[in-house]
Amino acid sequence: MFLPSGSQDEIGQKITNRSKAYEIFKNVTLSRNYKQITTPVVEYATTFTNKYAGMELRNMLKWFNHEGDIEVLRPDWTTAVARAVGNQNNSQSKWAYQGSVFRRDKDGMESRQAGIEIVHMPTFLGESECLLTAAAYLNELNINDYLVELGHIGIFNELIAPLNLTEQQIDQLRNAMHDKRRDDVYQIVANAGRKDIAEELTSLVDAYGTSAMIEEYEEKWQHNQQLLSIIQHLKRLANLLEQLNVEVIVDLGRVKNLPYYDGTMFRGYIKSNGATCFSGGRYNRLYEQFEQNISAVGLAFDVDVLAEHIEEADDRIKVCILASEDTHAFAEKHRNNYPNAIVDIQYQRINLDRFDKVIEVVEENAQLKVVEK
Amino acid sequence: MKPCIALTKGRVEKQFLDYFKALDYDVEPLINKGRKLRVETEEFQFVFAKGVDVTTYVEHGIADLGIVGEDILAEFKPDVYSLLPLPFGHCRMAVAVEKGKEWPNRKRRIASKYTNITKEYFRQKGESVDIFKLEGSVELAPILGLADGIVDIVETGTTLKENGLVVKEEFHQYSARLIANRSSLKIKRDVLAPVIEKFQKGETVS
Repeated sequence: MFLPSGSQDEIGQKITNRSKAYEIFKNVTLSRNYKQITTPVVEYATTFTNKYAGMELRNMLKWFNHEGDIEVLRPDWTTAVARAVGNQNNSQSKWAYQGSVFRRDKDGMESRQAGIEIVHMPTFLGESECLLTAAAYLNELNINDYLVELGHIGIFNELIAPLNLTEQQIDQLRNAMHDKRRDDVYQIVANAGRKDIAEELTSLVDAYGTSAMIEEYEEKWQHNQQLLSIIQHLKRLANLLEQLNVEVIVDLGRVKNLPYYDGTMFRGYIKSNGATCFSGGRYNRLYEQFEQNISAVGLAFDVDVLAEHIEEADDRIKVCILASEDTHAFAEKHRNNYPNAIVDIQYQRINLDRFDKVIEVVEENAQLKVVEK
Repeated sequence: MKPCIALTKGRVEKQFLDYFKALDYDVEPLINKGRKLRVETEEFQFVFAKGVDVTTYVEHGIADLGIVGEDILAEFKPDVYSLLPLPFGHCRMAVAVEKGKEWPNRKRRIASKYTNITKEYFRQKGESVDIFKLEGSVELAPILGLADGIVDIVETGTTLKENGLVVKEEFHQYSARLIANRSSLKIKRDVLAPVIEKFQKGETVS
C-alpha cells in the first residue's frame, strides 16, 4: 500500500517532541490568560476565498458536498478562528489554538500549527502580547537561537499611493517586491512616471538587516508623518523585544504574503538552519466581513519546525523486567518500584542491550523475587 | 561558514566564470574542477547542477545563492529571492513555426519544454491550445507533425534556421539571474551582502 505525495507516517521521537511542543504551548498560553479554541477540520471554501480572506482555492484540498458546495480541509487557522469568533459578542480577547492545516503548496500537505489570535485589544498592547507570548513559548521550549523579523504593510501602501496603479500593476509590483526583483520594481514604477518613487522602492528592497536600520529610516522619513509613525511603531516593538534579549531584524521592504494582512508583520527564524518557526501579523480587515471594526493580530508557530529543534531531554533510565506468563502480574506490581524510569516487561531476552538495567523475576522457595542481570 | 553558491552547469557556467573572473574572484579551482560537482574556493562553496535543480537547492537553503536562467524561474516559479539580472545568458522566448507553412485555423498544438510559460502566454492572448511537453530537440515537433508550432528559447536562431523553422513571435527577453534563499539572505546578511553588492556593480558596469 502506498501513500499520496505529501502524506507521511511518523514514528518515535518526532511525535514525542511534537506532543511536548503542544503541551508546553497549552501551558504557556493558559498561564497568560488565553482561552483555547478549536474549529472543525472541514469548512466551506468560501470562508477562505471570500474577498476579505482572499486565499487561493487552487492550493486547498477540496471536494463538492452533496449540495454542490465546495468544502475544504482547513487551510488556515486565522481565517477559521475569525469565522468562529467574529460573529460573537464575546468579551474574550485572547485565543489559542493547535492543530493541522492542509495545503497543496507546502512540502507536506499537512502541517501542524499552534497559534494565538488577539482581538479587541489596543494596537501596541496586542502586538506586544503576541510577540512576548512567542518569546515566552520559545524560552519554555529551550529554543534560544532564533531571531524575530518585523515589517509593515503600510510602508509599501504609503509609497505607492501617489502612483495611480491598476490592481494588476499593484499585484505585479507587490510580487516584484516579494521576490526582491529590484530591476522589475524600478521598471514598473518608472513606467508609471515617478522615477523618484522608483528609486525609493528599489532602495527599500535592500532595507533589511538589524534593528539599527530603523533609525536610518526614521531620519529619512522624518517629513512623512504616515511613514514616520509606522517606523516609530516598529521601533517601539523592537525596543520592547530587545529589552527581553530577543534579537530583532527588520525588512522594511517586506510585502504581505497572506492577502489579509494589513499592518505589522512578524516572523521568527531559527538561526541555525533558517527555518521559519512562526509568522503572523495584524489583520483587522479580516473582521470587516462580520461588520466589525476591531483590532486583530495573531501568529502561528510551525510545530513541525519546533519539534525538530527540541532537544531530546528524556534522561530517564530504561529498565527491562524479564517475566513469564506466570510471573507477569508480579512484574507489573514491581514496575511501581521505578516511578521515574521507562519500564518494559518482556518474556524473551531480545535486544536487552537497549536497556540501562535488566532484572528478572525468578522463583525461589515458592516465592517470587527479582534479580538483577 | 562560507556562502554556498549553486551554479547552472553548461553554457551559463562558462559565461558565469568569465563574469566572476572580471569581478576579481579566483576562478582557477572552478575551471580545473574536472568532473567534481562540488568545489570549494577560498571564499565560497560551489555546487554545480542543472538549472531547475539550482533553484531547488536554493529554495531549500542548501545553497545560499544561485545562478540560473530566468527562463527556469519563469517556468518553475521557485520560492526564492530573484535579486538581479546578470549580464550574460541572454535569450528570447519565442513561438516558432515551420517556414512557409500556414498557421492552422483551428485549436493549435504547441510543443515545448516550457509548458507553464506556454500556457500563460496563450492564456494572455486569449487562445486555447493543446500543449505537448517535450524534454529536448523541440524543433523536431513541427517537422514531424506532432505540433503546429513550438515555444522555446532562442539565442542566435541558428538551430531554428537549420531545421527549417522561423520565429513567429517573440514575447520575453531573459538573462541569467542571481537568486537567493529567503532565510539565508536575512540571517547571513553579513557575508552575503558584500557578494551581492559586487554582483550588482558588475551588473551595471558591463
